[in-house]
Amino acid sequence: MGWLSGKTARLVNGSAELAAALSAHGATIVEGGDCDVLIHAAPPPPARLAHELSFAEWRGALDAGLDQRFHFAREFAASRRESGKPGAILFIGAPEQTLGSDQAAAGGALGNLTKTLGVEWARDGIRVNAVQTCAADDTLFNLAAYLVSDYAAYVTGAVMGVGLDDD
Amino acid sequence: MPVPAHHVISLPPPFDAPPYSADIFSGRTVLVTGGGSGMGLAMARAFAQGGAQVAVMGRSLEKAQAGAARIDELGVRAHALSCDVRHPDQVAAAFDEVERELGPVSLLANNAGANFPVLAEDISVNAWNAVTRIAIDGTFLCSSEFARRRISRGEGGAIVNNSAQYIWTGFPGDAHSAAAKTAQATMTKKMARDWAPFGIRVNAIAAGFFPHETSTAGRREGGTEPLQNMIPAGRTGSIHEFGWLSALTCTPLLEGLTGQVILQDGGESLRRSLMMPDFVPPRERADGPWGWR
Repeated sequence: MGWLSGKTARLVNGSAELAAALSAHGATIVEGGDCDVLIHAAPPPPARLAHELSFAEWRGALDAGLDQRFHFAREFAASRRESGKPGAILFIGAPEQTLGSDQAAAGGALGNLTKTLGVEWARDGIRVNAVQTCAADDTLFNLAAYLVSDYAAYVTGAVMGVGLDDD
Repeated sequence: MPVPAHHVISLPPPFDAPPYSADIFSGRTVLVTGGGSGMGLAMARAFAQGGAQVAVMGRSLEKAQAGAARIDELGVRAHALSCDVRHPDQVAAAFDEVERELGPVSLLANNAGANFPVLAEDISVNAWNAVTRIAIDGTFLCSSEFARRRISRGEGGAIVNNSAQYIWTGFPGDAHSAAAKTAQATMTKKMARDWAPFGIRVNAIAAGFFPHETSTAGRREGGTEPLQNMIPAGRTGSIHEFGWLSALTCTPLLEGLTGQVILQDGGESLRRSLMMPDFVPPRERADGPWGWR
């Protein structure tokens, strides 16, 4: 199905499989510039006990799982506003509670950031959603394609998982 | 206030362009509770667009039959039947009837529910029981009956529940539905875990405002046009996009999806500010939007 026919999509840290799936849904993958869709995936940090995490590891997880995502999203939204066009942002990352406290912090922060930006940018026609999961399979890819497509035009600020690993 | 012209509104594709093929549910039967009208009918029509045979169930047979006629128009087999989902014997009999008419039920949409604005102190015992038990007991009874039958056949299946966007915040002025809809969402997550080993998936849509001919707001004077600007998305939902997401969760496209409560409300439940308009207790907004009088 061509859920994303005619749309350009930028992937940050996305896998080749995800890119292929979006292409199969009709999207044109672009490296940068103004585009219709931004999908930002963050690699999961290793599961470590909090007292064994160095500050550098902690900061690295927060940088990848939260800070960079915010900056990418803001840049994307500004570009969309400038072009006067709607857009869709999707954050993909690990669940909150299944890894270390660094991911718990980053994942929780990202979830509430998603809810916030989804409303803050709603009248720009920019939707913001997040999928927090360890899954990297066809269900995730199809769910991602759905969430950034016009079929999900009424879905914004949604934070969800895929299977039973999202607590 | 109308939505300002410079705001950007995202719209879904039209009804005749569903997000899945016309045969994705081919050979399968879905049972939709409360399927005769409103959101249930939207679910039923979405499953029909994917080629499912549709059992339209309602307390009122007449209403179910009217819904089934709308399904017939889409070129799939439909069967209307009456059932009060609060009674286990009636639920079991309904599944028997659908199996006889259409074959085993492998998809279930729990939509049956009632909802109306009312002050908590004015909710009668009967009204409390009706709203909570149709949604809570009804979802439990239909889902567990469905699961027992799927498990005994050694086959999986998929369930989708119609929950609501106010399940995380409460719903002042609608206490019975606040309780009922949250129970549906929390049982969704637990049933998904209970039945994952049997290949039965369970998801829910935390639905926002999808006006239709039988919704309270849909009947308000002036229609729903004046309400568009209160939603961050700049519009109320189109009922077919709710039906589509419900059905989509049950497709093989999302075969790993389970235990999820998906928010689809155009940002309605998330709009807030530290500084907000004066609080008006439900008792004192009888005539406002979603007023109880």
